[in-house]
Amino acid sequence: MASVTLQDITKRYEDVTAVDDMNLEIRDGEFITFVGPSGCGKSTTMETIAGLTLPTEGTISIGERDVTDLPPKDRGISMVFQNIALFPHMDVYENISFGLRLRKYDQEEIDRRVEQAADVVQLEGMMDRMPKEMSGGQRQRVAIARAIVREPDVFLMDEPLANLDAELRVHMRTQLQRLHRELDTTIIYVTHDQAQAMTMSDRIVVINGGVLQQVAPPLECYNEPANRFVAGFIGSPAMNFLEGEVVEGGFESEYTDIDFDPDTHGVTLGQDITVGIRPEDVFLEEDSHKAASPTKAFDAVVDVLEPMGKEMNAYLLFDRDVEASAEGRGEGQLLINLAPDTTIQEGDDIRIVMDRENVHLFDQASGEAITHSLE
Amino acid sequence: MSEKDQADLAAMERTEEPDLDRGMFEAWAAKMISNPDRAYRATFYVATIFFLVTTLFPFYWLLMVALTPRNRLSSVGVFTPGGFNPGAFVEIFTRLPFHRYIFNSFLIAVVATVIVLFVASLAGYVFGRLRFRAKNALLLGVLVTSFFPPAAFFVPLNRLFNQNIDILRPLMQDGSLYNTPYAIFIPLSALYLPLSIFILMTFYSQIPEGLEDAARVEGTTRLGALFRIIVPLSAPGVATAGVLTFITVYNEYFFSSLMTDGRPQSWAPMLEGILRFQGEFEVLFNLMAAASIVAVLPVAILVIVAQEKIVSGLTAGAVKE
Repeated sequence: MASVTLQDITKRYEDVTAVDDMNLEIRDGEFITFVGPSGCGKSTTMETIAGLTLPTEGTISIGERDVTDLPPKDRGISMVFQNIALFPHMDVYENISFGLRLRKYDQEEIDRRVEQAADVVQLEGMMDRMPKEMSGGQRQRVAIARAIVREPDVFLMDEPLANLDAELRVHMRTQLQRLHRELDTTIIYVTHDQAQAMTMSDRIVVINGGVLQQVAPPLECYNEPANRFVAGFIGSPAMNFLEGEVVEGGFESEYTDIDFDPDTHGVTLGQDITVGIRPEDVFLEEDSHKAASPTKAFDAVVDVLEPMGKEMNAYLLFDRDVEASAEGRGEGQLLINLAPDTTIQEGDDIRIVMDRENVHLFDQASGEAITHSLE
Repeated sequence: MSEKDQADLAAMERTEEPDLDRGMFEAWAAKMISNPDRAYRATFYVATIFFLVTTLFPFYWLLMVALTPRNRLSSVGVFTPGGFNPGAFVEIFTRLPFHRYIFNSFLIAVVATVIVLFVASLAGYVFGRLRFRAKNALLLGVLVTSFFPPAAFFVPLNRLFNQNIDILRPLMQDGSLYNTPYAIFIPLSALYLPLSIFILMTFYSQIPEGLEDAARVEGTTRLGALFRIIVPLSAPGVATAGVLTFITVYNEYFFSSLMTDGRPQSWAPMLEGILRFQGEFEVLFNLMAAASIVAVLPVAILVIVAQEKIVSGLTAGAVKE
């Protein structure tokens, strides 16, 4: 067990900066998740921790040791890879014991530890199978056993569930949480799937374009996103954004206006801001009692309805002239969650309210959050 | 069934066009056109038989010559020996220490193969898996070396190996490499290295990056990952490169004959031994033939042992998953 500290880590390839001045302190025993879109530098960051890539600048310490220039094998880490990376020419036993054999443990100790690790991931009786004879989930468990058998200080997991089918992925997700509880080791987990990040981690590290966006517990990232990127990335379906301007007495955009006191919410008149509102914080006018503090109602047209079973997603347009954008949710479109028994039809004119307690304001120029509530 | 298949079937059913009166050859050609599978099969057999005859007949005839007694060598038939004298296979070892010549060639080939595989593995790893500046220029340089005829290197190397070098004095007699196995396998290893580098480079570049990373995290160095993971997984490629090198060096004559004085104790190679059966007044073709057959055996055994790997190496190498 150990803490991990990244100090001013920068990784530049010829003309691309993959990781830009990353500072991060990971606590002992923490389950921390790096999350971000593809190519955001999360995997590169993990590779620098593993020692598979050397950072261009900065230092990495694991525990109290500066490991920046140590090879991967001397860092006290183990890793589970996205493509599982079992050695195809070795059977399960040889795969799991590979690291122990290299470190010249005695045979008895190796057997004991392999058995224990196999027990944790429920692989008993498969010791002489070859990787190609196993299913994806079994292979993944072998990879995890190989990682835990050495009892490392830090576990690195690079999208370990990405190649599994959906059902197995959910199952392995809970398995990993259980594993973390049992081993009580620092786990650093990389994923592009915000659902995995939300469900498993103690804290999540949101990265975009090689730059750290926010480091916080999942719910804090959800409820108090540090900037517009985090707000849009964490949460599914994603937050709605409305672009507009601060005017006397509130916010005004092309389609709607929200009244609040600019002075008490840290904005100045004429400032370009973005309003963010999550789909579940918008209600039909007749349900406005469900909102803690409803805004005044405004008009919308129902464009598309998606019944999901336990809820219904409704894509709204602010008026009939708005063209629904083909690339994601565009300006003038709004996604809201409704109760599944709501009786509205596509094409209906409806009136909706937002919950002022959950309206986020972002500065348009910098993207930074200004406030997370208009109360 | 696709439209194309149906069209093909229709063409196959319409094998004969009765209103045309064709000669035998024309009819045969028409059949081939309407049913190309027959044509492919026929071509396959023709090519295979031709290939087998051209490769195997010389061996057969060598055996016929070897079995012919010495005084009847002029009456060797094309398919039958001019007598029966299996004693030639024993005589080659009694008249000359031919086993020593084979041993010399074998040892030199083994050492050269080991050196080539080791160095080519390192080079193949670097060229196949790392990105660095001037990689292509270097690779081209390696390739260019293999363009030179071996003879181009001979004169300077011969001068060098005949030089008495003082530091080598404690190691070998009079401090020169002439008449030692070193004078043979050092230049040969260098000459056949580029081919192996190319083969291994292709194979090593196919091994997923994740496996190497996993090995390094688990506790190997880069070199350790190369020899514990990448090389075993590239076994067909390594076997191919190894066997090709072994065969070429084992059969090599130019360097091996010029770098020694031809005596078995001077590490003269197997081919030199075969030629020693050619006396001043008489050429003992039967012994030369017997010696040739015996000399092929080590290679034949090696190829049979490594066959499975080589075949998959030669054919499936580039598209290995």
